Amino acid sequence: MPNSDDFRVKRIQKMLLEMAKGNFFYSIEPMDKNDNIASLVVMLNMVNEEIGAAFIHQGFANAHNTPQCVIQLSMILDANGQIELLTNGTCSLLSYPPKDLFGKHITEFMTERSRERWAKKMSKHFKRERSETVLFLEFITNDGLLLAKDCQISVYQALDGSGQKTLLNSVFFSKGEPFETGLPKNKLKVTKGIKEHKVTLTPEDIQIIRDVHDMIINNLDKDLPTLQDLARQKGTNEYKLKYGFKQIYGTTIFRFLIRERLRMARTLIQHSTLTIKQIIQMTGFKSKTHFSRAFKDKYGMSPTDLRS
Amino acid sequence: MKKTHENTFAVYLLTDHLLHIIYKKVPCINVKAAQLIVKDRMELQEGKVMPVLCDIREVRNIDKAARDYLALEGSLWIKKLAFLIDPPVTDMISSIYLDTHAQKVPTQSFTKKAEALAYLGIKETDDN
Repeated sequence: MPNSDDFRVKRIQKMLLEMAKGNFFYSIEPMDKNDNIASLVVMLNMVNEEIGAAFIHQGFANAHNTPQCVIQLSMILDANGQIELLTNGTCSLLSYPPKDLFGKHITEFMTERSRERWAKKMSKHFKRERSETVLFLEFITNDGLLLAKDCQISVYQALDGSGQKTLLNSVFFSKGEPFETGLPKNKLKVTKGIKEHKVTLTPEDIQIIRDVHDMIINNLDKDLPTLQDLARQKGTNEYKLKYGFKQIYGTTIFRFLIRERLRMARTLIQHSTLTIKQIIQMTGFKSKTHFSRAFKDKYGMSPTDLRS
Repeated sequence: MKKTHENTFAVYLLTDHLLHIIYKKVPCINVKAAQLIVKDRMELQEGKVMPVLCDIREVRNIDKAARDYLALEGSLWIKKLAFLIDPPVTDMISSIYLDTHAQKVPTQSFTKKAEALAYLGIKETDDN
């Protein structure tokens, strides 16, 4: 039954419903099959990830005002791994009523893969008095959707002598309800008089800025033209380009360029036999001092240390 | 010169003019897998820029972090890239990947190996 077309289509409908509600943290377990429904499942999962990423990304156009809330998956397990306490958020995430979850073993709600991982990784933590770890787990909801996330897991001893307990936590972003109205509406500003630049971007503007983004990625070794020239080349103005880029990508054009150059440099340092000097040239850096300092700031170690 | 290499996620066949990568059947390619795939490829190529034929017909699941890594860090030293696909699933995967990621490298998908090789400018022989 679980593999009948009807069943698979129902899952896709559930998944779309969750996406419509602004919940991008579910997915559908992909299958071995190579048919149209399987391809639709793959597409849905990938589109879901792309939209979800854009949605959580704070710098995305208009995301300033997107209401977001955090749903917490949180539960306490007893010494046998049975669920002893859970939050309402956990019940709605897994779409089970609380009574169906209490007293059940945590692994009953995991995929086969996660069950094995849980057994393998947790056994050593259970032997200790106290222990903490992060584990990637996949839960299966009552609707048959996958909920996959890194979970923070703490093992501890109960003070009342009732034995070992396990706390399991993870958070998910959702569109859901806006933050409580009691929160300050405007961000606190450290310095007085800083102007917040906001530009209204048309779809064409956004496309131009995306083109600039792609152009930078594809020409990391070359000098960046001045913003003025770049804007003129692309048929927009400097102001829109400068602040629009920041609005969409959450960083300035110059910082973005440096970040991407460093990323390429890191890959080359790790996986190639090119000299650091050659890598500096290939990634468009003008001076070794500047490169080394920027690299160390970003990755916490110097290029030569990473090499060795 | 011919070289081969294999890791958990892929098999690599290297000749003088072409690198042929065949992705294996695994539950999911995540970012750690992508990093290993790229690392092994770069070590094999030793700095030589070449066309790559990437057989993704067995791929069923590749997450966003892995896709992002392959599109950026994973594009070094590739002159031209051809995906070998088997519709509908891998056709969908390659289409979404190509449409959502800025391509540094000219890339196209093919269902027939001969066409993929022709696109890469390689003659089909027993070696590849």
